[in-house]
Amino acid sequence: MSSISAKFKLVKAPIYSHCFNNERNLLAITCENNCYVYKLNNGQAILAATLADHDKTVTAVDISVHGRIVTCSQDRNAIVWEPLSDGSYKPTLVLLRINRAATCVKWAANGYKFAVGSSARIISVCYYEQDNDWWVSKHIKKPIKSTINTLSWHENGVLLACGGTDGYIRIFSGFVKGLDSKEQVAGCPWGDKFPFGALVGEWYHGAWIHDVKWRSQAEKLAYVAHDSSLNVLDYRGQPKRVDNIDGLPFKALIWIDDHTILCGGYSCHPVLFTEDNSGWKFARNLDKTTSTEKPTSFTGVSGNDQEEEEEHSFGMSALKKFKELDLKGKISAQQERSTHENAITCLFPFSETSRGVSQVSSSGLDGKIVIFNL
Amino acid sequence: MSDWRRIDIDAFDPESGRLTKEDLQPPAVKPITLQELQPRIAQLRSCATSGDFVRGVKLATIDPPYGSDNDTKLQYFLAVLELLTQVRQADIAGVVQQLDQSQQEVLIKYLYKGMSLAEGQKQGGVLLSWFEKVTQKSGVNPISRFLSDRRTI
Repeated sequence: MSSISAKFKLVKAPIYSHCFNNERNLLAITCENNCYVYKLNNGQAILAATLADHDKTVTAVDISVHGRIVTCSQDRNAIVWEPLSDGSYKPTLVLLRINRAATCVKWAANGYKFAVGSSARIISVCYYEQDNDWWVSKHIKKPIKSTINTLSWHENGVLLACGGTDGYIRIFSGFVKGLDSKEQVAGCPWGDKFPFGALVGEWYHGAWIHDVKWRSQAEKLAYVAHDSSLNVLDYRGQPKRVDNIDGLPFKALIWIDDHTILCGGYSCHPVLFTEDNSGWKFARNLDKTTSTEKPTSFTGVSGNDQEEEEEHSFGMSALKKFKELDLKGKISAQQERSTHENAITCLFPFSETSRGVSQVSSSGLDGKIVIFNL
Repeated sequence: MSDWRRIDIDAFDPESGRLTKEDLQPPAVKPITLQELQPRIAQLRSCATSGDFVRGVKLATIDPPYGSDNDTKLQYFLAVLELLTQVRQADIAGVVQQLDQSQQEVLIKYLYKGMSLAEGQKQGGVLLSWFEKVTQKSGVNPISRFLSDRRTI
């Protein structure tokens, strides 16, 4: 299929998060207790640096516009990695003051502060204080009730959206005095006053929220949840919902343009959704496997042909598979695999044109990075 | 310290505020008492006896008593179970065909609840054939919805 531009099998462990720098020639991935930085050169990914100061699983990585890398980990710390001229990185520990794992980290658009979500029901907003030569972390606590899974900064650098396992999607103000100015939020439709930590908006969804992303120009917010739905909301009202036809949850989403969203998750291939006058709906699958011979039984749930469904009833497929294995020693209708062989964990805009994102990179639990053409 | 994941870290920080069950209750669920529900249960019973199964199953799945206490939910469930077991094996697919997505999701909830209770386990075969028909129509969608929904029936 032509939808794949490149794929890298980098590690033999899950990649929970990945990120490219501004010039798209450096790739950072999380892998177990380390973060690996690769140089992209002629379609090859060459290991350039290993960031190894964490002593528990690294959960997220992000690169700022200035090229600073921030990682956060289950060891409850975040580390800012300052690039040096010789290609190595100088680590600075950021004390988040949390008593549980840090789960996600995102730089604000200006690159001067970042937010870390955690299982301690706290979001730490961190910024550098020149006087003390120290990264300060300020907490947003209320009314978060459970683990924060995902964070997204609005381009204005103040609104911070988050979602987590308490089933709420929330927008907080991450306004830091002395760093942000009121002009950034002038004319903002989501509210009038934005003191640090103020709850700007709150919506109850119910299922775990896996990923949330702002579309700043359109003042919209999209999120995916564990009930296999994609939801889009704006400041005027209730979220609009659309479901994954596979029935499996999405782990990540990305805005392609104002009316297009790409999602990826446990289906192992990206799914495109578009908005028209009647609302959001499914558009197409990318890189979805299409077996040449019609599979006899193993797609019991994904087909929509009613008659065939009757013949090969759901739930019997596993039994048939073993019977076949027993009789013939192999499974005849072996399904072709998608490029990702396991769930997709993170999506990133790899290249953009004036019309929107044209290439998307994805990382998966299979240790691969794949770049898709849209 | 190999067992560090089992340390009760909240014990070291009394102010952290433990997560309670109530914290994760879905907000704004209207409580419904058994009395308010009695007419619906009677309707379900009459559907079961008169053989008007499509109407009965639709009624059972359109607005389940999410806000009730456990006893009330059980009473309601028993009426639903009675209805479901009255439907002949051959008619199940026909009834499922007429349910919309949200009704199927609620139906799946009742099937799982049935399989978890002794009353339902006696009728396990019937519940499984309902389950089979729903998954044939909608795949794993209603199952993943059931697993992630905090509103219980």
